[in-house]
Amino acid sequence: MTRVMEDMTMLKKPKTKLTSFFSLKNRINVGPKHKWALVGLAVLLSIPTVSVFAAEKVEITWWHAMSGSRLKVVDAIVESFNANHPDIELKPLFTGTYAETLTKFIVSYRTGTAPNLVQVYEVGTQTMIDSEAILPVYQIPGMLGETWDWAQYVIPITNYYSVEGNLWSMPFNSSSAMLYYNKDLFAQAGLDPNKPPTTWKEMEEYGEQILASGVVDYVYSGGWPGWIWEQTLGYHNHLYADNDNGRAGLAKKVVFNDEFGHMVFETMVRLHDKGIYIYGGPEYAANSAFKAGQIAMLIQSTSSLAGILKASEFEVGTSFLPRFEGYPIGNSLVGGGSLWVTKGKSEEELRAVWEFLKYLGQTEIAIQWHKGTGYFPVTNAALKALLDEGWFSNQTYLTAFLEILSGRRDTAAATGARLGPFVEMREHFRAALEKAIAGELSPREALDEAAEKMNQLLRDYYELYGG
Amino acid sequence: MQEERFPGYKWLPYLLVAPSIAVIVIFLVVPFVQSVRGSFFISTPFGTKTIYVGLRNYIRLFSSPDYQNSILTTLAFSAFVIIIGLSISLGIAQLLNQKIRGLGFYQVALIWTYALSPAIAGVIWALMFAPATGLVPYIVSRLSGGYVLNWMTNGRIALLVVAAAATWKMLGYNIVFLLAGLQNVPNALMEAARVDGAGPWKAFWRITFPMLSPTTTFLLFVNMLYAFFQVFGLIDIMTRGGPGNATEILVYKLYRDGFIHLNTGSASAQSFVVFFVISIAAITQLRIATRKAIYAR
Repeated sequence: MTRVMEDMTMLKKPKTKLTSFFSLKNRINVGPKHKWALVGLAVLLSIPTVSVFAAEKVEITWWHAMSGSRLKVVDAIVESFNANHPDIELKPLFTGTYAETLTKFIVSYRTGTAPNLVQVYEVGTQTMIDSEAILPVYQIPGMLGETWDWAQYVIPITNYYSVEGNLWSMPFNSSSAMLYYNKDLFAQAGLDPNKPPTTWKEMEEYGEQILASGVVDYVYSGGWPGWIWEQTLGYHNHLYADNDNGRAGLAKKVVFNDEFGHMVFETMVRLHDKGIYIYGGPEYAANSAFKAGQIAMLIQSTSSLAGILKASEFEVGTSFLPRFEGYPIGNSLVGGGSLWVTKGKSEEELRAVWEFLKYLGQTEIAIQWHKGTGYFPVTNAALKALLDEGWFSNQTYLTAFLEILSGRRDTAAATGARLGPFVEMREHFRAALEKAIAGELSPREALDEAAEKMNQLLRDYYELYGG
Repeated sequence: MQEERFPGYKWLPYLLVAPSIAVIVIFLVVPFVQSVRGSFFISTPFGTKTIYVGLRNYIRLFSSPDYQNSILTTLAFSAFVIIIGLSISLGIAQLLNQKIRGLGFYQVALIWTYALSPAIAGVIWALMFAPATGLVPYIVSRLSGGYVLNWMTNGRIALLVVAAAATWKMLGYNIVFLLAGLQNVPNALMEAARVDGAGPWKAFWRITFPMLSPTTTFLLFVNMLYAFFQVFGLIDIMTRGGPGNATEILVYKLYRDGFIHLNTGSASAQSFVVFFVISIAAITQLRIATRKAIYAR
């Protein structure tokens, strides 16, 4: 303390020193030499502005969540688009995971710095519809004085992103879920490698046989538990939430915790308790176990196909998701993401964005996207071209498509739910599954608890948007 | 009458502190006031609609079993990181504080963990403990004759693994400070103790430990902040708060509610609660520390 006081008194005395310190004239000598340096700096700084004026390109931005090998395909497509459109400069930007991208978009919209185009995952669909921040894609051709044939897109995909029959976002990266299995392990366990299980009863029987044969410690695993739960409901034409899965109006409660839902959930937990199923985490952690031959089957997104085929040293089989016999048949659901157009931008920019959306639908681009990433081609023409080319002679690729194209598409249950607080609801399901297989709660208690939490979320959402 | 400290420059002191004040106001005070205000509202993610709900965000929070669980998890986690972490660090620092061959190598080997980013540390631990492919579950299963160590389905093990990773990550930092503290303990005191017939154990508790108390107090505080806030990256990489909500500490829950679930009202309320808890803890610690710690030589 005394030292500090000394410093203070020292500061007080030499008034002259202070004056000289704060007099800029004495400190910085702005001689002629320095003046030229300043002029040079000013010229340098103005160069970028000049070049912008010279180019006169329409600059549009696109935020997406495609990383790794997918990013390379995105960049290649953007590059060819820019080369084909000399008057447009499309700038893609990887903005992190789906969740991070959505959060960044929200913040940027509120501060007036939003991109023209943003990729949003399928669970964020209702949030975007309610955002008042976007322009539904079905309105864009009309605004630009064009007409557009929306029937050229694959219907189960457009159904997912449509409100009352009108498409709100452009389908981009669509996938579904399917069953992958290891044919070599099937053969070693004495099963027919060309007969994957088709029902959950068979899953259990095959599982017991594979366990008994001792070729693996666990039979199957999977990722995205909340999404697989939606898939299972949709696959049996069973509603997830009321108000037609939230498609006829905001949903007010979930309806999956009935007799069917409890039976499905109890089956999952029972297979775990028997050692057939091993929990594989929230996303893709189980893929490595499958690729390493440590499990015989995997329930995962179709978009994992390319990676699995590449890394597996055994013969990979694919099949539809197993069913519960005696229940109605619905359809697999579309997952992945779609592209949303920000509203309030100039017509010039909108025209450029629309050019890009049309470009993505061109047959060769849709095929390039599909072959590079494993996501579905979004147009019927691209699908036909792939069929003609014989691309689907590899049965594994065919499964991924038939999965989504084969089911019924006329019910809300088979289209999938569209809910406001969907992200958080999925997590409640994941937590319920984790609690049930850890034995913390009985399957029935866990599922009911999750449903109750989800209902609270739906009520909160209704309070904000429903009034 | 008080003498002027800067005669002739009445506004100079204010001018000099103005930049700091501006930074604090813009980046700390304004956001703080905004989140306190936000905690009384619910609003849509895009801010199109905001409804005043009074204390409902707080009431919901404290009546939510998930939040109560998160508080307990945070306390257990912090206790582990602080108590186990500091004890191990002190032991290692004590071992490093002697003249042995290759001392420099040991010191670097034990300190470098602090240089790792939380993301890298998280990935390393997640790979080591991966249930199907990891090294640790393999060794455990071999040694125990088939026990399956799967932290992805066992919340307690998950919390333990994350806490161990967090502790390991902080070891280097703690060791540096404790080692510096140990090297400041005057040899004369230790020799005097030895002459008086004190064994190493007694000398440690009667001389070294009290002499270390300023360092320990500082580390207690830093480790608490670490366990509350900075382990975020580690948890995000390793467990994302799961399985169930077993590793969802307060700051992680706040992040998820605010930035993933887009529920800003509840997240604001949570940030105020965390602020309150940390303030109380900090004030208590400083009070006890200034009274008990021995700073004088």
